[in-house]
Amino acid sequence: MITKYFSKVVVKFNPFSKEAKTARLLLSSIPPAQRQLGTQIQNEVLSSASNKTPIIKVTFKDKKTMEVDPTKYTFQELSNYFDAHSRQLSLKETIESS
Amino acid sequence: MNFAGRQLWGFNGLSLSSLRIWSQTIISRSYVSYASKAAPAAFKTSKWSQDGRETIKPVDSRKTFLIDSYKQLMGSNPVVLFVHYNNLTKNEDHHYRSQIKKAGGSLTMLRNNLFSVYLRNSAFADPCAPIKRRDQNLSHPLLPLFKGPTAAISFQETNPQSVARVLKILEKLQDRLFVVGAKVEADVYDINQLSQFKNLPDKPGLQSQLLGLLHILSGAGLVRTLEAGPQTLYLTLQSHHDNIGKDDEE
Repeated sequence: MITKYFSKVVVKFNPFSKEAKTARLLLSSIPPAQRQLGTQIQNEVLSSASNKTPIIKVTFKDKKTMEVDPTKYTFQELSNYFDAHSRQLSLKETIESS
Repeated sequence: MNFAGRQLWGFNGLSLSSLRIWSQTIISRSYVSYASKAAPAAFKTSKWSQDGRETIKPVDSRKTFLIDSYKQLMGSNPVVLFVHYNNLTKNEDHHYRSQIKKAGGSLTMLRNNLFSVYLRNSAFADPCAPIKRRDQNLSHPLLPLFKGPTAAISFQETNPQSVARVLKILEKLQDRLFVVGAKVEADVYDINQLSQFKNLPDKPGLQSQLLGLLHILSGAGLVRTLEAGPQTLYLTLQSHHDNIGKDDEE
C-alpha cells in the first residue's frame, strides 16, 4: 500500500469482531518514520457495548477524503482502493517535478 | 532456544536420539504443522516423542518451545493485557519495555499462529500434543484478537493499580501500542471492562473489605441465614423418616 500521500488516518474498530484484521493490518502498514513526517494517525478501540460504527477514513495530501467500512473489505481490497488515488497523486507529482 | 526448551521441561543434555530427531525435522516440515487443517490425517505418519512426551513438531524445536512458553505465560500470570503494536522503532521498543517493567508488567511479542494453537489446545495438559481438530476449542473467546501484530503485557499478581499504571503509559502512546483485550483471572475483558477493573482496589484490600462486612453481619441474621438451609433439610428428612416409621408400624 502506498501510504506516502496520507495526511490523516482515522481508524475505529472493535478488536473482537470481523473488521479487526483489516483495521489492524492497515495501522501496521504505515511505517514509523511517517508519523514523524506529519501523518496524523487516530485510532479508537470500540467495544461491543458502544454504538459507534467501525470506520476507516483516510485524508490525502490534496485534501481528498476516502471512507471505507472495514467489515466489508479485506486489507488487499482496501489497499487497492486507496492506491488508486495515491497513484494519481504520484503521477501528478512526477509531471510537476519534471 | 533449544537450551531454554530443555530447561522448561527438565531434559538432561542433548542425546543422540534428539540429534536424529532434529535431522528428520527438515524433511517433515512440508506436511505437518501445528496450524494446518490437514493435521489430523498427518498425525499417524509423524509424531515426535522424547522422554515420553509426544508432540507434532520435534520436542526441541522453536515452535514447541514457544507454545510451552505461552502456556507458562498464561498459566502463571493472572492478568495479561493484549496489545496491538505498531511498527515500533528500536529505541521506542526499548523505552516502552523498560517503562512497562517499572510499572510492574512485562512485554512479550507473540507469534499469532502459535498462540492460537495454544488457545485452541489450552484445555489439554500438553498443547503441543497431536490433538484432533474436533477436540480443539475453536471458539476460544481470545482467538479473534490474534490478527495483526499482537503483544502481551503480563502481570504476576492481580493488582489493578499496576494495571492502571501501565494503561496510563499506553494512553500516551496512542496508536503505537494500544490495548485490544485482556485476560483477568479466568475472564476475558474488553476495553470498557478493563477500565472499570483498573479502578478496583487490590485483591487483599477487597478480601479485607469482605471480611469486615461479614464481621458486621455476623451479629445480625447472617449466621441464621447460613444455618437455615441445612436446618430445613434436616427437618424435612426427619419428618419423612417419621412418616415411613409410622407406615411400617401399621
